[in-house]
Amino acid sequence: MKNLLAAFTGKKVGRVFLAPTVVILLLLTIFPFLFSISLTFGRVSLTGGLGIHFAGIRNWIRLFQDDRFGNAMRNTLFMAIVTVTVQYLLGLGLAMLLNNEKIKGRGIFRVLFLLPMMLSPIAVGYMWRMMFGTLNGPINGILIRLGFAPVEWITNTRIAIYSVILTDIWQWTPFMFLILFAGLQTIPKGLIEAAQADGASSWQQFRHVIFPLLAPATVAAVLLRLLEAFKIIDIIYILTGGGPGMKTESMTLFGYSKGLGTFDLAYGSTIAFSLFITVMVVSIILLLGLREVQEIRLE
Amino acid sequence: MRTISIIITYILLIAWTIFVLSPIYWTVTTSFKGEADVYLGPKFFPWIDFKPTLWAWRKMLTIERDMILRPLINSVIIATISSLFAMVFGSMAAYGLTRFQYKFAFWRNQDILVWIVSQRMMPPIVTVLALFIMLKVVNLIDTRPGMILTYTAFNLPLAVWMMRNFLIHLPRSTEEAAMVDGASSMQTLFQIVIPMILPGLAATYLICFIFAWNEFLFALFLTFNKSQTIPLLIAAQHFQRGPQWWDISALAVIAITPVVIIALFLQRYLVKGLIPLGR
Repeated sequence: MKNLLAAFTGKKVGRVFLAPTVVILLLLTIFPFLFSISLTFGRVSLTGGLGIHFAGIRNWIRLFQDDRFGNAMRNTLFMAIVTVTVQYLLGLGLAMLLNNEKIKGRGIFRVLFLLPMMLSPIAVGYMWRMMFGTLNGPINGILIRLGFAPVEWITNTRIAIYSVILTDIWQWTPFMFLILFAGLQTIPKGLIEAAQADGASSWQQFRHVIFPLLAPATVAAVLLRLLEAFKIIDIIYILTGGGPGMKTESMTLFGYSKGLGTFDLAYGSTIAFSLFITVMVVSIILLLGLREVQEIRLE
Repeated sequence: MRTISIIITYILLIAWTIFVLSPIYWTVTTSFKGEADVYLGPKFFPWIDFKPTLWAWRKMLTIERDMILRPLINSVIIATISSLFAMVFGSMAAYGLTRFQYKFAFWRNQDILVWIVSQRMMPPIVTVLALFIMLKVVNLIDTRPGMILTYTAFNLPLAVWMMRNFLIHLPRSTEEAAMVDGASSMQTLFQIVIPMILPGLAATYLICFIFAWNEFLFALFLTFNKSQTIPLLIAAQHFQRGPQWWDISALAVIAITPVVIIALFLQRYLVKGLIPLGR
């Protein structure tokens, strides 16, 4: 049958289907990617036409001497790890709660639970900036009515990063929920009933039946979310602008403020590239670690 | 015991629903507040502790109309067209990858697929500075075609991945039967394959649309003025007018309305499209 298909279409025709995607990606992702590698070893001047000059590893030396780099990298890693962990736990919890046929209105809950991840992060940033308002925000309003002191959610140097984290959790827990809920629904009911018949407690059912079967969905959800978490900018841009001080500045925001804020495109590319390398390293470590875990389980 | 656990489940589900809805509720109500209702402490309920006013909305439709209209039109044009391109090219590539055996040097179909999808994982900040220079050189910076191209490329990996998941589950026997009956490959494609993957195409289009509609970073670098999109217009507000939360809320409501409509009424399609991401 494969031959028949080939006979009708010919080998070359097949390439026509792939061509637009490959051309667009080569032109608008691969070329700029290579271009930005070369920029990290260059100096760009935009006055009087475009000029790019070779500058050796000056940008990279500058990066490693820049305190702002260490700060942004720490913030990004901290936010990524905390948000993804909490989102995973909450997403799993919600998926488990909703995966109970005795609950009425599951459809409505699901629609509402997925809503935040579809909204513009810029709008979400403003929504939470209002929620976190020190004097006129509803959260402090309720705290005051309950007799607590108002909290400086986005201006306190210690608290601001947790406000960003809370906002990110609000927006992206739905993504974890979506994938884990779908994963839960693929687990055959018979398996859980068999475990129940063997007298397994709820925890044992979860630990020995549900959790292992959910592993592929877990890996996909955590990895995809982590890759996205490293790119965070929009929520921070609106909620805190990277402040107070630079307590909530992420790598992408740092790259933006150097690259476009001060028009230092070469240094901006260097910052961006260091983020890219970090993302690659983290993903590779995670994937290798996972492979090891799976091998141990197989043994 | 059973009843108690059901009640606890409901309580937790409703608590999360309240958490999800409260910022949205707050934004919608704030867009109907006057200056005093925003600045004299938090006011929670319309008609109870504040009197709703159409002030901000009326302003949006009169004085502010020209300021909003252009980014709104830009967003609509850029998002609808770029998602169409991403959907068409993405499903073409996905069709190719599931129906033909490619071989470029040592690259087979699986390698090509991984290469395409991995583009999505790259942080956009890595390419955007170079894109800025490239678009400037070809005079496409701050133009709708430039943004349409950028968003097409941005959404393509996801579109290919989603459409591949639909096409791979499509039984090949139907197509082959049509061909045996003498249908040409183009007839098979348009009369058999496309009608069967319409839900997939719809899901892919909607997801790409949402991403393009909400996208911020590329727009931040690649537009300044005449092709600014809605997220950029809103992002600029707190620099331009300070904390005029009633106006900002109205704008935020405008920005989220199309997506909320999609989410509430077309979610069946979206979920079908997104779930293969988990496999």
